[in-house]
Amino acid sequence: MSDATVFIVDDDEAVARSLRWLIESIRLEVETHASAHAFLDRFDPGRRGCLVLDVRMPGISGLELQQRLAARRAYHLPIIFITGHGDVQMAVRAVQAGAFDFVEKPFNDQDLLDRIQRAIAWDAAQRDRESQREQLRALFAGLTAREREVLGLVVEGLSNKAIALELGLSAKTVEFHRARVMEKLRARSLTDLVKLAMQLGAEA
Amino acid sequence: MGTGSEALWLGLVAAGGTLAAALIFSAVSALRLREAEQRLRDKEIDHQAVMDRLQENEYRLRAIIESEPECVKLQAADGTVLEINPAGLKLVDADSPEDIVGKRIYAVVAPEHAELYRENMRRVFAGEAVVYEFRSITLKGRTCWMETHAVPLRDARGAVYALLGITRDVTEHKLAEEQARRHQTELARVARLSTMGEMATGLAHELNQPLAAIANFARGCIRRLRGGDVAPSELIGPLEEVCRQAERASEVMRHVRDFVRKREPQLAGADINQIVRSVAKLTELETRQHGAAVRLELAPQLPRVLADPIMVEQVIGNLVRNSVEAMTEARSPRREITIRTGPNGGAGVEVEIADSGPGIDGALIDQVFDQFFTTKREGVGMGLSISRSIVESHGGTIRAESGAAGGATFRFSLQAAGQEAGGGERRHGLHR
Repeated sequence: MSDATVFIVDDDEAVARSLRWLIESIRLEVETHASAHAFLDRFDPGRRGCLVLDVRMPGISGLELQQRLAARRAYHLPIIFITGHGDVQMAVRAVQAGAFDFVEKPFNDQDLLDRIQRAIAWDAAQRDRESQREQLRALFAGLTAREREVLGLVVEGLSNKAIALELGLSAKTVEFHRARVMEKLRARSLTDLVKLAMQLGAEA
Repeated sequence: MGTGSEALWLGLVAAGGTLAAALIFSAVSALRLREAEQRLRDKEIDHQAVMDRLQENEYRLRAIIESEPECVKLQAADGTVLEINPAGLKLVDADSPEDIVGKRIYAVVAPEHAELYRENMRRVFAGEAVVYEFRSITLKGRTCWMETHAVPLRDARGAVYALLGITRDVTEHKLAEEQARRHQTELARVARLSTMGEMATGLAHELNQPLAAIANFARGCIRRLRGGDVAPSELIGPLEEVCRQAERASEVMRHVRDFVRKREPQLAGADINQIVRSVAKLTELETRQHGAAVRLELAPQLPRVLADPIMVEQVIGNLVRNSVEAMTEARSPRREITIRTGPNGGAGVEVEIADSGPGIDGALIDQVFDQFFTTKREGVGMGLSISRSIVESHGGTIRAESGAAGGATFRFSLQAAGQEAGGGERRHGLHR
């Protein structure tokens, strides 16, 4: 979490500065941008953290910025919207469109900071899971066609013998393939292997 | 009869001859005389006919003038009333012609308008036709407003010998005008108040921003103080920010007070660009809610303008709102408003508000500033009319244009602040 940054996009400079001062009190890195344009120009999808957005902004509004990020069809930073008093409708729309959270002005500082921490943790978890999946996909790509066949039948719960019969192989050959699959996917047990296979299956 | 009678006869004959000659002569003369007399008589008849016709014409003219419902009068160069018709007598509350004829017209002109009246008399006697309005105090002390159309009357040599004036009572008209003006001022105030309602949300946002910043700065300080790991000097900057934001909030409040207060325009030197920026802020919420973007193109180094900032803000605000409404109603796909400032060619400044909306129908462009003219479903047609009143009360002009490819443009000018305006501003500075 040490490399997480809280990105603030707010057209009101004083408000942006005050948020920076408040958020820096919990030793988080803060970066402020005066407009959605300025933020998008320097946007690096690889950076961790969360985005704090004022729903009302001239030019590209907070909601539009959210839509633009979503349109990239890739993972993006969790967004916490700051809405004016009585903007519940806007907040609802933001959350429906995939916002992580929202706080209503005037907000409790602890409340905002807690939400920011949660968003950063969520972002880290998402990125970790994503990198695991990435890794697994790479490992799976290293399997031969025969090994994938064997993996599929193992996960279905067939014994080595049944698999041998099914594929017209000797039980010894099946055992050999199975050991290779375990090794290549770095699975320590059968349960492990089934879990990994399910993760891969969820991908497909 | 002897020689004597002979001589007498001869004499008689001679005399008779002379007589005959004389008789003949006189007969001829008489004849000629008769002819001449006849000719003379004929001429006299002709003359009489001309005289009669003239008389007739004069009677007819007089009848027209006498029965004319408006005051018709002849005046000499010094203002002496030479002739006046009954309508004129009634107008000045005269019981008989003697009350006014032969007297100076200034007896019924209000003292403050005597000079104006004299000036117009001079122009008529210099050969001009003029129309002027003046306040009159009648012979019975009644006050009324008059409008006179005056033309010079010339003699055969072309010299002006009198003024022919036709005057009517325009008091009612004048009062109606005055009332309309007062009504307009009142409407402007009402419109300001309803604009206030529209702006209330925008103002709430304007106030919330500094308040939110204050809370954030203060809480950031408290957290660090609680943590005990902050040097006092580190807190100075954020605490100064707190003060600045508090001032910003009170500035917004001052603005609200100024806006709702009913008052006469207070002209002083003002920075037009600052006024424009202020309007952009105040209307920001409204424009954004309608999907419109406002772009500012403000010329640097403009002269200060002679203006009441609140009123000019109202004009620009009206025009911006007008554009937003027009674009929203027309469902314009692109909704852009550009506010430009620049020199106006003279010494003043021009402000332009251009939109990407449907523009204005060419047939209606001359009417857009009229009171109660509107193309909007829920409009009352006051906004542009009030805007024009305000601009004109600032000594400026406003006009509307429509682009060939759509888009309406409103331009108005304001005068540059002169010497006295600078003084006014200094006074303002002392008040604070």
